[in-house]
Amino acid sequence: MNRFSLALHFVRRELHERYRGSFTGFGWAFLQPLLQLAIYAFVFVEIFKARIPGAGAPGYVPFLVVGLWPWIAFSDAILRSTTALQDNSALIGKVAVPREILVFAPCAAGFMLHLAGFIVILLVLALTGQGIRIQGIPFAILMYLPMFLYAYGAALCFAALQVFVRDLVQILGQLLTLMMFAAPIFYDRSNLPDRYQGWLDLNPFTGFVEAYRFLLLGHGNFGWGALGLVLAIAVISYLVGSWLFRRLDPHFEDFL
Amino acid sequence: MSEILVRAEGLGKRFPKSHRSSDRLRSLGRLLLGGGDVDGQQVLHDINLEVKRGESVAIIGENGAGKSTLLKLITGVLTATEGTANVYGKVGALLELGAGFHPEYSGRDNIAMAGALYGLNRTQIAQCLPGIIDFADIGAYIDEPVKHYSSGMVVRLGFAIIAALKPDLLITDEVLAVGDESFQKKCVRWMEDYLAGGGTLLLVSHSMYHVQKLCSHALWLHHGKVAMYGDVFDVSQAYLAWHERRQAAVASDHGVRAGQEFEIVEFTVNGQDESPAPVLDIGNSLRLRVRAGSRERRTPVVLFGVARADGTPVYGVSSEMDAVALEGGQSSVYCAEIEFEGIGLLPGSYMVKVHVLDSEGIRLFDTEERTLTVRGESREFGLVRLPHRWVRFVGEANE
Repeated sequence: MNRFSLALHFVRRELHERYRGSFTGFGWAFLQPLLQLAIYAFVFVEIFKARIPGAGAPGYVPFLVVGLWPWIAFSDAILRSTTALQDNSALIGKVAVPREILVFAPCAAGFMLHLAGFIVILLVLALTGQGIRIQGIPFAILMYLPMFLYAYGAALCFAALQVFVRDLVQILGQLLTLMMFAAPIFYDRSNLPDRYQGWLDLNPFTGFVEAYRFLLLGHGNFGWGALGLVLAIAVISYLVGSWLFRRLDPHFEDFL
Repeated sequence: MSEILVRAEGLGKRFPKSHRSSDRLRSLGRLLLGGGDVDGQQVLHDINLEVKRGESVAIIGENGAGKSTLLKLITGVLTATEGTANVYGKVGALLELGAGFHPEYSGRDNIAMAGALYGLNRTQIAQCLPGIIDFADIGAYIDEPVKHYSSGMVVRLGFAIIAALKPDLLITDEVLAVGDESFQKKCVRWMEDYLAGGGTLLLVSHSMYHVQKLCSHALWLHHGKVAMYGDVFDVSQAYLAWHERRQAAVASDHGVRAGQEFEIVEFTVNGQDESPAPVLDIGNSLRLRVRAGSRERRTPVVLFGVARADGTPVYGVSSEMDAVALEGGQSSVYCAEIEFEGIGLLPGSYMVKVHVLDSEGIRLFDTEERTLTVRGESREFGLVRLPHRWVRFVGEANE
């Protein structure tokens, strides 16, 4: 209970910090993905003339929103949490604080902000008749839970390693970009040549994107098997992350 | 009252090498693969310590002896390499400066944060807030970011928070050294009240005055090992003596004072010729005796003095002031002895000094000092017990 209220306090602090000193405040959490979306939409729709194959396929913009927005939440949370221990080294050196909370806070705060933005843009798209299924929105929100667990597990892992290997966060930025293009965010599975389509399953994020597409656009396939896989990824990530974190936890202060 | 609050057994700490990135990677590998020992700098060896509820223990020692590391191990900020440290009860710790404040946040936000870390909920924090702000007494700075604070203000705020939390165990690391005189007094007074109310204290300080005033026991750390543990007066006395011996060793390297016109041959405190002087119980008599050599067989003037350990003079008197002539006999060595009967020094650390001057009492030729510890329980203030009596006004009340 105590741990819970402490976590709540840190999440609140984190949310506070994100808008403190900036004019746009919380709006930035919404503006940033929106801008990114506008750029990608322009490049892919106007320049590359991207199109989703198949009859009755969704328009490219809702197709992109549904994949890109959760990805931004995911990668943003991981990147911010990775340096969490380093950023709070002054606190870690003075107070016996449960360290996983320091990683949890930026991760959870990032997810909350981006989820709020996601809901807003989905409602806007739905109301302007872009083919978003309103009844799918609650399920899509539920899908954020395993995605959060996945991200939190990864964040625990990277935050612990970052203490020892300081250039991890730079490498991680590159790796996340790679992972983004290796997941069907900007394209559909059916855009790929047949022999490459199976490779997509190696990317753990593929399942999440396809789940959102299925739930919100009725596009593609997402069965119980795929759901089970997604949940398994989330649980395994969390278990591995917290094992690694607990293993290194006693030694953080020595290396910070 | 005999409940144990802190128990450390065989506590040891080794800091791994962490400067070079290859060292960091190697350590990471070792930790992940099932932890062979990490090589590095051993800062604490086999520390055993038990603190019971209501005790106050000072940890003293030279710089780098491992005092702060020991406190960090006890608070759980650091993890021990060997042994265990268990704390039973709520701990309020003020480690070094800063107390874990976030420099970008205001004092008020940092109070909320410290309260949350201590386990208070929002309403409890809100209740404590006025008291903390009042105790810290830093005015409008409370709403400024902590990065704009002076180091004294940071300590004020940190101490105010601890004071409001009323922990079972209070751990402070060299906190009093930063605050100004009035804040130091406020802190000392608060700690005395806290101890009187059954609080438990672990204190790191270089000020023997504070150590002796606040603590009943002391632990002397030397190169990461316990050099001595016991009654605060015995330990601090031994510690000061060790310092003196070390200084004397340095001084004698270049201190050749042969050929002086006057020099001290022997200086005894209560009959003992070595430093430290024997511990004095409060109210005992103090006898100082000096034998001074004079090359030209001229009678020297001798000045005896007592000062507090920090150098504040308490009393000084010379043979010339009291018009006492030193006896020389036929030899060139003159002898003087003075007795302070039932000396009124209050418990603490002092220096007794002797100066030898020329026959006119103008030029100083030789000086010797001894540390002196006065032991005892007293709640009186100041340095000396002045002769006094309470006067009763008969009749005034019954008129």
